[in-house]
Amino acid sequence: MTCLLRKSLRTKALSPFLHKLVGNSSESHHTLASTCWFWCHQSSHSLPQKTNPCFSSNSIPSSRFSNALLQIRFWVSEAAATEPSTSDGLTVQKILANNWNILDENDGDWKSHAAAVAQSINLIKRRLQWEKLKVRLDMLSFQLGKEDLWDDPVRAGKISREHGSLLGKMKEVNALEQELLEHIDMIKLAREENDADLESESLKVLLNMRRDAKEKELEALLAGEQDSCSCYIEVQAGAGGTESMDWASMVMQMYKSWAQRRGYKVTLMDEMPGEIAGIKRATIKVDGEFAFGYVKAEIGVHRLVRISPFDSNKRRHTSFAAVAVIPILGDGSTHVQINESDLRIERFRAGGPGGQHANTTDSAVRIVHIPTGVTATCQNERSQHQNKASAMAVLQSRLDQLEMARQAKFNAQHTESLTDITWGSQIRSYVLHPYRMVKDLRTNYEVSDPDSVLEGDLDGFILSYLSASLDKEDDA
Amino acid sequence: MKLTLSSVYRPHSFPKLLNCSSFGILGRPFCSSALSSSPTCVKPQVPLFLRPPIYSTKLCDLKKWHDWAKGVSLSIGSTFVQSDNGADSNMLCRELKWLMEDAVEDHSLGMEDDDRVKMRIDIEELYCLWTQRVQERRPFQYVVGCEHWRDLVLSVQEGVLIPRPETELVVDFVSDVVSENEDLRSGVWADLGTGSGALAIGICGVLGSEGGRVIATDLSPVAVAVATYNVQRYCLQDKIDLREGSWFEPLKDMEGKLAGLVSNPPYIPSEDISGLQAEVGRHEPRLALDGGIEGMDALHHLCVGAALMLKPGGFFAFETNGEQQCCALVDYIKSRSGRSFCNLEIRADFAGIQRFVIGFHQ
Repeated sequence: MTCLLRKSLRTKALSPFLHKLVGNSSESHHTLASTCWFWCHQSSHSLPQKTNPCFSSNSIPSSRFSNALLQIRFWVSEAAATEPSTSDGLTVQKILANNWNILDENDGDWKSHAAAVAQSINLIKRRLQWEKLKVRLDMLSFQLGKEDLWDDPVRAGKISREHGSLLGKMKEVNALEQELLEHIDMIKLAREENDADLESESLKVLLNMRRDAKEKELEALLAGEQDSCSCYIEVQAGAGGTESMDWASMVMQMYKSWAQRRGYKVTLMDEMPGEIAGIKRATIKVDGEFAFGYVKAEIGVHRLVRISPFDSNKRRHTSFAAVAVIPILGDGSTHVQINESDLRIERFRAGGPGGQHANTTDSAVRIVHIPTGVTATCQNERSQHQNKASAMAVLQSRLDQLEMARQAKFNAQHTESLTDITWGSQIRSYVLHPYRMVKDLRTNYEVSDPDSVLEGDLDGFILSYLSASLDKEDDA
Repeated sequence: MKLTLSSVYRPHSFPKLLNCSSFGILGRPFCSSALSSSPTCVKPQVPLFLRPPIYSTKLCDLKKWHDWAKGVSLSIGSTFVQSDNGADSNMLCRELKWLMEDAVEDHSLGMEDDDRVKMRIDIEELYCLWTQRVQERRPFQYVVGCEHWRDLVLSVQEGVLIPRPETELVVDFVSDVVSENEDLRSGVWADLGTGSGALAIGICGVLGSEGGRVIATDLSPVAVAVATYNVQRYCLQDKIDLREGSWFEPLKDMEGKLAGLVSNPPYIPSEDISGLQAEVGRHEPRLALDGGIEGMDALHHLCVGAALMLKPGGFFAFETNGEQQCCALVDYIKSRSGRSFCNLEIRADFAGIQRFVIGFHQ
């Protein structure tokens, strides 16, 4: 039995060993390179008010392209009203219409780079739902202009935050667009003047833009209101006893590894172990920017087919595990008000007379929100006080989510990420026998190496789902 | 009774004044003996997690120890639960995780088997410690030398009661009371039989930096030494006054002046002591547990004293053995000094057991 158990644990190389044991409590928190970094990075160049944004070297006398800059300045001031274009009237749309060949990055063809950037801009705009975004922004600006705005400070704060965030997104894309055209102008100018240095310099900038824009495409997938939040992941074993409890713990391990690879901080909040192996249910907290944006793609039922190590007859079993994801709203968001008197706080595992009679390190706490029946449990902390605080945080997020779901009924835009998880909503199949494959039933994205997926290589699944779901919204 | 017991616990060579050098963090050799029922030295031990990481061991050796310790824990099953409501395998495994947390300095990823891990304790000692935990039923908190209590991490060692989760609520009661009464917030509070200093430090926290002081007393010199260490760790020397002595004896100067009085006194009936959970009965100080025949000796003494020491409007909260003692104590207060107290209330702990008696001085 121990042998079987060990096999089923699928413990990988020993490197994450300490992590698993100590729950990563001391792990420092890094933000995701491909997401946060990009937005910040972007603001460091490309803003129109900077006179010389593209050249760090002083070798080029500024008078040489003052002409071009003047033209650029001219259209920058008009940018809000007219579509940005180069001096000879080239726009992003026209670049796309030209169907320039997009070559490999290493081929130093400016048209190829420009077309790639233009394509990215187009995709980003689509993912951000550009036209809707503009309408929404106009609506918010109108609201902000109203005199009675601050009569309701909570609502006003919400409007001004959303306005700021949408405006920021719009400005960034506009800036990217302008920068592209700016450099096309620059290259044309360099060619006219036969300045090889200037040309290669501009080419280099275009290439960088091409790479940046590629990352920004990813970023645009995570433009939802709660996408930047940290989140809780809950995994629950389906029917089927030990085999499905083992599957639930494999799924949880998969998310822990994924999150650690991504540089997120993972904390175990609550875990109900199975009698023989695995877990009946567990909750982890994933801390870091855009955690919710990514993990929301995992909501649903995950199905495993394998020869069960717990079946002495070596039969093939199918097991299910349900995954729920709850965003942890930031301080700026409006939280559901919880009345202290609506709560019942319980010691989770009470027994005996307690007090001085018992020395127990078990200080698990369960909080019941009486009006809704929503509960939250935490047992991972070392003091009851901390368990209570953590359980309260989980409860708060659950009630917030409930409220969001309620509001989502009036706002169809949100329902996508808030699908109620029922055992019917199967999203992915993991087959270890008779063949080996992991397939997402929503996107048909599939991988023939289940081990790598179970070790946390989920990005392909997540990104294909996110882009597919945005495309779907687009069609609608 | 207190005095007779004290002769057992008072070491002959106890220095009356603790000098500061006894609190150095560095270099105290680890004491591996499970029982130190006769503390000849009241130099407080440094909790494991605060010791310097001067040891190192190969990751594979640490893993070997961990597998061994886990195996030992799993072999326990529910044996302890059945014998005396002790820990089960799950609990032991969680404790094991915490022991790792405290013992290992470096939890970074990407280590290989042959890489060395920095440790706060020798790997050999870890084997000793886990054997003590499982075989001798030494309380986990003594093993790691600390207890996480509320948002505090308190040093504990043999000779000092490990603060219980239930007792955390007393601080909440005080917090509620002072939140609507500035006079009580800025007054002097007392925690009698402070042990590790948990209640005193917790209350000091809710009184806030602008609030009053706390006087904490304990008969046991080990407790006073450990409480002093904890108070210093939270830099509350100026706010918490530790006094050695039995109950109200060190408080003669405070008669009628206390804004509040709290205590988690010994309340277990003497005859129950022998049947206690092994971690408690075999390892924790009887002085802090045994409340006399009915378990109410100290509680009665505290109620009588409270009437004398509290100022008008002053608040008290006492922890008891449960519903029976709560009711008996309320009756006792009403019959003995009915007019001295008002708003008497019995409060339950999170397990639903009526645990505390609280009230105000008239």
